[in-house]
Amino acid sequence: MISLNGLRKRYGDRTVIDELSLDVRPGAVTGFLGPNGAGKSTTMRLILGLDRPTAGTALIGGLPYHRIRNPLRTVGALLDARALHPGRSGRAHLTALARSNGIPLRRVTEVLETVGLGKAARGRAGALSLGMSQRLGIAAALLGDPEVLMFDEPVNGLDPDGVRWVRDLMRSLADEGRTVFVSSHLMSEMQLTADHLVVIGRGRLIADAPLAEIIARGSLTAVVVRTPHADDLAVRLGAAGLRWERPGENELVVTGATVEHVGDLAHEAGIRLHELRPREASLEQAYQELTADSVEYGARRERV
Amino acid sequence: MNTWTRELARATAAEWVKLRSVRSTWWCLACMTVFLVLGALAIGGGTVTELVRDGQPGTLSASDPVTSAAVFAQFGLVALAMLTITPEYASGGIRTTLQATPVRGRVLAAKALVLAPVTFAAGVVAGGVATAAVHLVLSAEVFGGRVTAPFAEVVPDLLSMGVFFALVSVTTLGLGFATRSSAGTLTTAFMLLMGVPLLLVMTGTSIGFEASLRMPLFAGLAFMGSSDTPMGGAVPYPASQGLVWLLVWTVAATALGHAVLRRRDA
Ligand SMILES: Nc1ncnc2c1ncn2[C@@H]1O[C@H](COP(=O)(O)OP(=O)(O)OP(=O)(O)O)[C@@H](O)[C@H]1O
Ligand SMILES: [Mg+2]
Repeated sequence: MISLNGLRKRYGDRTVIDELSLDVRPGAVTGFLGPNGAGKSTTMRLILGLDRPTAGTALIGGLPYHRIRNPLRTVGALLDARALHPGRSGRAHLTALARSNGIPLRRVTEVLETVGLGKAARGRAGALSLGMSQRLGIAAALLGDPEVLMFDEPVNGLDPDGVRWVRDLMRSLADEGRTVFVSSHLMSEMQLTADHLVVIGRGRLIADAPLAEIIARGSLTAVVVRTPHADDLAVRLGAAGLRWERPGENELVVTGATVEHVGDLAHEAGIRLHELRPREASLEQAYQELTADSVEYGARRERV
Repeated sequence: MNTWTRELARATAAEWVKLRSVRSTWWCLACMTVFLVLGALAIGGGTVTELVRDGQPGTLSASDPVTSAAVFAQFGLVALAMLTITPEYASGGIRTTLQATPVRGRVLAAKALVLAPVTFAAGVVAGGVATAAVHLVLSAEVFGGRVTAPFAEVVPDLLSMGVFFALVSVTTLGLGFATRSSAGTLTTAFMLLMGVPLLLVMTGTSIGFEASLRMPLFAGLAFMGSSDTPMGGAVPYPASQGLVWLLVWTVAATALGHAVLRRRDA
């Protein structure tokens, strides 16, 4: 479990993280979303004690990171896959990490096999492709068999097989009861991987809710009804304070209501329905609406 | 073993793996050895030629010019020490290091605990090689047979050179943590170990001279008992005082590096 409490970080006079409070719970994949520069990587550095918070605390299992003994056995993190000595072999890199935390050396071989790097880990790390470095970074995170895992954009540079492998890995880690905290910009991937989402913008918390709830907040989430009595139903919906659109003669799209609510209204009025179904917005859409006001480095939309 | 020593031992074991798993370590050691051998032959050759030409009595211990050459060869180990830390800052690998060992002072201590014995041993071994080379080449009759290798002089010379190298390496490590960059470390290390003391001597003022005597260059030469130094003869104070000044600089640089490491974000 990761707990942030009133976390704040200033670089010079810029506040980059502001009053961030949240818990990342075990047994679930928690996606960490936000536009470029929102402060995701900074938050992770604060959790790992690499940067010192200006105010507030970041605790892991109730302890600040530097108080955890042999921390690689409790927390595995991948921040930047390229952050290693290019002249050292991947295996030596992992061996040094294992030594530093009293992890048996057979784990090095095990995790290299897990990530599929066996042979490539003998050569210089600088010669690895981006995707292979990413796998080496994941291997380093898994090395101590930790309870808590943090990944900063882990699928960056991975091929489709690799992306799928990471998704399955995250899922299985969470299913084993571990805490998995992962940032990403790939919404479709997050929609498939995460149980819970934390969204930040300009260093502030925007949302901290289950995936399904965040998607449901999207304005495209609606109930689609097909009925030969669309006029009657529209009147009923209006009376119940619901907003609707009428894309076709026999079709209504109702926003802000559940399928049950619309179904019950129709039933009470004795209106025959030919179709009643929820229309799910994508996470992408819901995310864009949530963060519309906090995109700092968006490309300007030119009018043509 | 209590927890504290066990965790320090683990961090040290990790640093040892890191040191031996990059090629640059071995390059630096080789460079230092070559500098030392060539420097010792050049300095020793000069001294012996003078002795013979001026018809002075006396002999030269083969290890004496080696200690004089050590203040040039030390830069091979400055590079070695620097390369244990500044590439971590350049690549961001320092973050991985601190994830594994979040108690920051322990990272510095572990690196120093690896560097000191390695550079000590390197000094003794390379010093032995250089002493043998000097003896081999300069004990010949053409040089007047003035070069000898008495055990009682060679052994302390080699040991003190090992200590000098270890202290210089740890000093450089401290500068590496303080400046966090290769350029900054090289510049400050060169100025501290060579540039500033020579400049101070060149000012020709007595205060400059006195100050330079307290810097690592002359402190090291005094500690190693070299008879041939950039100021002409031997340094005018005892070896023990040289060691004290060396230690002062080592502690100062390490404390500076430690303060920066503790205070700043990684
Ligand atoms: N060491 C630093 N000094 C000054 N500013 C910094 C530092 N590190 C990060 N920042 C600033 O903090 C803000 C948050 O950066 P951060 O890297 O945490 O964003 P992010 O959410 O990870 O973005 P991205 O999605 O692009 O990775 C940015 O505006 C960045 O410029
Ligand atoms: Mg980032």
